[in-house]
Amino acid sequence: MSQEGAPLDEVSFSDFLDDYFAECDEHLIGVRRLLLSLESSIGRDAIDRPVLDDLFRHFHSLKGISGMVEVRGAEELAHRLEDYLRALRSGGRALTRDGLEALFDGTQTLEQVIAARRASIPAPPIDAIADRIARIVGAAAMASGAAALSPAPAGGSASPTGSRRWQITFTPSQELVARGIRVDVIRQRLSSAGEIVSASPRVTSGGAVAFDFVFAGAIDAATAVSWERDGVTIEAIDDAVAGELLPDAIDPAPIDPAGRSSDRPVAPSHVVRVDLTRLDDLMRNVGDLVISRARLGDTLARVEQRLAAADWRAIQENAVTIDRQLRTLREGIMRVRLVPVGEIFRRMPFVVRDLARETGKRVRLELKGQATEIDKFLIERMMDPVLHLVRNAVSHGIETAAERIAAGKRPEGTIVLSAATAGDIVRIEIADDGRGVDAAAVVARAHAAGLPMPPGPPDAATVLSLICAPGFSTRDESDRASGRGVGMSVVKSAVDELSGAMALETEPGAGTRFILDLPVTLAITDALIAKAGGETFAVPQNAVREVIEITVGALLQVERNEMIPYRGAALPVVRLTRLFGLAESTRERQHLFVVGTGASALGIAVDRIIGQREVVVRTITDPLARVDGISGATDLGDGHVVLILDPAVLARTLRERPDRIYAAGGTGR
Amino acid sequence: MTSATAGAGLGSYILFSVSGTTYALPTADVRHMEMIEDITRVPNAPSFVDGVVFSRGQVVPVVNLRVRFGFERAPVDLRTRLIVVQSASRTIGLLVDGAREFVSIPPDSVQPPHEALTGMSGRYVEGVASIGDRLILILNLERILSFADPLPADPAA
Repeated sequence: MSQEGAPLDEVSFSDFLDDYFAECDEHLIGVRRLLLSLESSIGRDAIDRPVLDDLFRHFHSLKGISGMVEVRGAEELAHRLEDYLRALRSGGRALTRDGLEALFDGTQTLEQVIAARRASIPAPPIDAIADRIARIVGAAAMASGAAALSPAPAGGSASPTGSRRWQITFTPSQELVARGIRVDVIRQRLSSAGEIVSASPRVTSGGAVAFDFVFAGAIDAATAVSWERDGVTIEAIDDAVAGELLPDAIDPAPIDPAGRSSDRPVAPSHVVRVDLTRLDDLMRNVGDLVISRARLGDTLARVEQRLAAADWRAIQENAVTIDRQLRTLREGIMRVRLVPVGEIFRRMPFVVRDLARETGKRVRLELKGQATEIDKFLIERMMDPVLHLVRNAVSHGIETAAERIAAGKRPEGTIVLSAATAGDIVRIEIADDGRGVDAAAVVARAHAAGLPMPPGPPDAATVLSLICAPGFSTRDESDRASGRGVGMSVVKSAVDELSGAMALETEPGAGTRFILDLPVTLAITDALIAKAGGETFAVPQNAVREVIEITVGALLQVERNEMIPYRGAALPVVRLTRLFGLAESTRERQHLFVVGTGASALGIAVDRIIGQREVVVRTITDPLARVDGISGATDLGDGHVVLILDPAVLARTLRERPDRIYAAGGTGR
Repeated sequence: MTSATAGAGLGSYILFSVSGTTYALPTADVRHMEMIEDITRVPNAPSFVDGVVFSRGQVVPVVNLRVRFGFERAPVDLRTRLIVVQSASRTIGLLVDGAREFVSIPPDSVQPPHEALTGMSGRYVEGVASIGDRLILILNLERILSFADPLPADPAA
C-alpha cells in the first residue's frame, strides 16, 4: 500500500510511471506483432509454440509491472489474457477464431486502460471482455481436461542442471603450453560444458596475457579442481548482480524449461532506453563545453606572447585535439537520436487489420525500409500523420472486394508503406492500389465547404492542397477512421512544421500515393545564441568557423567598411546591429563569428554570445517575412520567436549587393 | 476575387476595427484569432510587417493593418487582436485594434466601393455594406497581402 508506507516522492514516482508506460509500449508492440502472426494458426492443432511463449511472457510482464504501479484494470486484464495463453500452451488445444478475436479485443482494451492511466482519465470498463476471455478459457480447459489447471512449470533460478554464471580466467604459462594446455583447449572445454557468454584477452599488471571468460553452465567440484590445475581460476558470478544486468532473468515464469537464456530474442542487456530529455541534457552539457572551449581559446590567445614557442605549440596541439574530440562527442550524441523509422510502422499492421475488419475489406499491408533511420524528434511527430494516411488508405482508398472484382482487380487490396533515405531526406510513402482520388468530387466538396478555389482544372498538387485545407474533412466527423482528431490539415501542418514536403500521386482506378519528404535531422541543428541590439539571434554552429573576442577600438575603418587583423590578414567585419538597424551596443568587447574562408571570409560582430543550444529550425516561407540572411526561426522554449541567421547568405549578399541589406537598415522603428 | 466570392455565398463575416473604422473579412478566410504577446521584429522586412510570431507551431508574419492602411502604429493593448488568415497556401496574421463580432451580411446589401473612398485602405476595399447605422468596409485579402502595390517611401534609400 503506497499510502501507508513512506510517502512516495512525487518526482520519482512519476519517473517510475514514465518507465512503466515506455515498458508497456514495448510489450504491447510485441503482443500486436505476435497476434498478427497467430492469425495463420486458427483452427490448426499445432500452434507455433514460440509465438505462444512470447505472447505469454509479454502478458505476464504487463501483469507484473501494472501491479507494481497499481494500474489494477491492466493487471487484471493481463492476468486473464495470460490465463488463456496458459490454457492454450498446456492444453494443446487449437486456437479458435473467437479466441483470437478475444485476444485482439482484450489487448485493445488493455491498451486503452494503460492509455487512460497515462492521460489521467477514467479507465474503460474491462468486465465484459474479462468475462468473455474467462468463458473461452473455461471452454479450453474443459476440452483439454485438467491440464490447464496445473500450475505453470516452475523454473528460473533453480534451473534443472544447476546452471549458473561463472567468471573464468585462464592465465597461460610456459609450463602449461608444454603440457598442451593453450587457450583454445580451455575454450573447447568451456564450450562443451556450457556456454561462453563472453571472452576477452587482457594484459595483466605483470605484463602477461590472461583470458577472461564469462561462462554459463554447470561446474561441479571435481571439474573445478581439475580445471584449476590447468591455470584456470573459477569464480561464481553473484546471481543477484547477474539478475540486475539481465532484466529478463527476473522473469518469474520462464517459458523454456531448459532456461537457456541465450535463446531469448534480442539480448535485452544490449538495449538501453533513454528519455529524450536526458539526451537533450547531454547535448546541452556538450554545448557548455563548446563555450568553455571558446573562452579558453580567448584566454590562450592573450597569453600567447608570454609563452615559449615550444610550450605554445604543445598547448595548441592539445586544443586542436580537444576540438576534434568535442565534435566526435557531439556527432555521437546526434547519432543516438536516430532511430529506425520502423517504430512508426510496427503498429500499422494492427491498425490495418482492425480497420479492414470493421469495413469488411480485404487489405494486405507491405512494409519496406523499416531500418531507415530518422531523428527521434521527427518519429514522434510523424506517428499520427502516418497513422492517418494509412487509415485513409484503408477506408477511402481500397475498395470492397466486390468492387475490386468488378473492376477486374484482385479482391485483396494492397497498401505499401515504405521508407528510404536519399541524402539528408527521408522519404515515407503510403501507396494503395485502390480507387484513386476523384478530383471532381474533391473540387465539388471543397466548393460546398466554401474553400477558396484556384482557377483552372485541378492537378494533383491542387487536389492535395484542397484535401489538406482546414475545414475540408468536416463531413468525415462521423467516420471513425478519420474522425480521431487528425484530419489531412493536421498531416499537412505536421509535415510543414518539420520543414518537410508532401506530394500526391493518384490515378483513378489505379491507386493513390502520398509522398512525405522529411529531413533526417536537419530540423534540429546546433546553434550559438547571440544578443545584438537587444534582440536574440541563433547562428548555426556548422556555419561558424571560429568565435573570437574583439574590442571595438581595434576595428579599422576602410572606406565604408570595417576590418580587423585576423591570422595575418584583414578580415571584413559587419556589425549585426548596423546590418539590421538595431540599437548600437555600448560594449567595448564584442564577439565575432568568423564565417566563410578565403576571399569570402567575414566576421559578424554581435554584442555577446550567451549560449549554445540545439534548436529546432522552422522555415519562414511567407515572402512578407523572408529576408536575405535569415534562414528560419526557432523557439528557445518560451514561445518567443528567435530568428536564425544564415551567415553564408549574409556574406554573399554583402559581397554582391551591399546596398540591399544596408538600404533598409534605417527603417526600423 | 475567388475567396470573396466564396465568402459572399456564406454571407458570414468577421468585423474588426482599425483606426476607428469597421472592416470585415469573410469568415472563410479566417483560421482563428489570438491575443498578441510579443512580436519578433524581422530586420529589413516591408514596413507594414511588424515581425513574426508562432501560431500553432507555424512562423506567421504579422501585417500591421494600421500601417498598411497608412495610419500611425498604435501600442498593443488588451483589445489588440491578431486575426490569422489563410490565403491560398499562405498563413498570415493581421494586427487589428480590436475584433469581436461575427455578422451575416446578405449579398444584396453589399455595394461596390464609392468613388469618393480614397486613402490607403480604399484600394483594399472590395465592397461597402451598411448594417443599421454602421458602415462596414469589406476587404479583399489578397490585395492586402500582395507585394504588387508600392511600399511606403524608404527614407534610407
